Amino acid sequence: MDTRELIERLQLKQLNQFKHRSIDGVFISDMVSDTMARARPGNLWLTMQTYKSIIPAANLVDVAAVVVTSGKEVPAETVELAARYAVPLLWSELPTFELAVKLHALGIG
Amino acid sequence: MNMRMIREALEASVIEGEDQMELPVEHVYASDLMSDVLAFGKPHSVLLTGLATQQSVISAHMAEFRGVVFLRGKKSTDGARRFARDHRLVLLSTGFDTYEACVRIEAIRKGTPAGPEAGADPRPDAELSLSRDFCIMGGDYANAGSVSTEVKSILKKIGLDPRLIRRIAISTYEGEMNVVMHARRAKARLTVTPAMVQVTIEDQGPGIPDVELAMQEGFTTATEEMRAMGFGSGMGLPNIKKNADEMRIDSRVGEGTSLEMKFRI
Amino acid sequence: MPECPHTWEMTNIRFGFVVFEKCHHCGRVRTFFTREDIALLGDKYREGTHFWSRVENAQSFRFDLRCRSCGMLEKFDDLMGLLYCTACRPECKVDILRRELEAQGTHVVLACGFLTENRRRPEQVAGHKIEMLASYFNQRRDVSRSRIAVLPFDLEDGLSHCMGEFLHDVGMISQEPPEIRKTPLWQ
Repeated sequence: MDTRELIERLQLKQLNQFKHRSIDGVFISDMVSDTMARARPGNLWLTMQTYKSIIPAANLVDVAAVVVTSGKEVPAETVELAARYAVPLLWSELPTFELAVKLHALGIG
Repeated sequence: MNMRMIREALEASVIEGEDQMELPVEHVYASDLMSDVLAFGKPHSVLLTGLATQQSVISAHMAEFRGVVFLRGKKSTDGARRFARDHRLVLLSTGFDTYEACVRIEAIRKGTPAGPEAGADPRPDAELSLSRDFCIMGGDYANAGSVSTEVKSILKKIGLDPRLIRRIAISTYEGEMNVVMHARRAKARLTVTPAMVQVTIEDQGPGIPDVELAMQEGFTTATEEMRAMGFGSGMGLPNIKKNADEMRIDSRVGEGTSLEMKFRI
Repeated sequence: MPECPHTWEMTNIRFGFVVFEKCHHCGRVRTFFTREDIALLGDKYREGTHFWSRVENAQSFRFDLRCRSCGMLEKFDDLMGLLYCTACRPECKVDILRRELEAQGTHVVLACGFLTENRRRPEQVAGHKIEMLASYFNQRRDVSRSRIAVLPFDLEDGLSHCMGEFLHDVGMISQEPPEIRKTPLWQ
């Protein structure tokens, strides 16, 4: 599945413009250090951390997209960085657990 | 769903709470952000986290969770284990990462219908008028949370509504953490009357220069001292305001702060 | 004999804290990595003429890079962390370089060594290791989309102005969202 289909199927909000890419696995963490150590390229990274550091971290790991969960408000700085680094930034009202369950039901990861 | 099923689903080892595995669990909360657990966690949840510290267990306790699962093989600290034991929280450890844990729990959950919570706490008759004093020492991170935990314990024995107790515990905890992080020492007083619970925390410390500003949601101060504490310099005041029926702050810079919180019974 | 065109993976990952300590006497800052479970904050102690106090505990990790093909191992224990530029001063040489590289689709992180109390700037991570790290990042991505450049942190004049951010976790147990740092890095 790619990010375009994911957004449609799960009604995710798209916070910046980006080129769609395919998703390979799901990674969940609210810690940047944990993510840099363990996430894999192409992962869909679910987090409720909205501090702008998630963007360079996401970029280094080369995740397919960052999904901010739990309806968290994303600061403008984070969105700006996402645009600058061209990191796909998505958003969902759903809490992390509920979103993970839906992703699994779609067969991702 | 209960803790035993979660333990099975996650092939987890039990660090604490072997005798509480039948406790029913109503929600699953996956988070490494403890401020979020405190603000949004629902009672009778289980916390899935990679942050294997005592503060995770304390936050789960304040939010009235059933237990905590340390993920990704993270080792528990002694403090975490002790707190879980002292406050009857289940503490599990699993090698699975968060996503895998969510998937496995859901698989087990789907297999069973959600059951009603096992028996509400009995409400013993008890005195509805009491007063207790506590001392909070600034910088005492090892004991941070002990006063609010004691307050919660006392209120539970009285038999107050669990949701009310939770609001009081969270507010007291926020006030207690402020003292530990920012002040030198404080006296806390819990007063219970038939109509109201009041928690007052009077500290000796730097005081708050601009209380109105500090009350704004998301406001954080940037003084060197507060930053130096490393816990983040926010003071949780908006969270207290949200949970208390009445809140009053008096502060004198260079002297200290008096925080008064009232809760209607 | 042809040299192995190494393909790198991270290994021997250890989680812990990067601790920042400041001397209230002379103002020096020093940093080190520890795997202690709970790092006490505001901890004060005297060491010789210094009066150290912990000012930050940042959750972080350390690692080695190993070549999947030939097994060559390089340790990165001297890497304190990776920093990203927050574009605080347009005339800063790092920001200038960052803008140039970003225009070509390359994103910059700075490799920073530890700060000892005897030096006024952080230790440098060796050049060959910085290249290795860049290879590691670029090998994992489709470089036609974007590349990673790793630069040494050698801001002579900028040390007192740098508002760059480390890729680590602070305030995870805080009751409030992380504050935006208003003072330069090394103060």
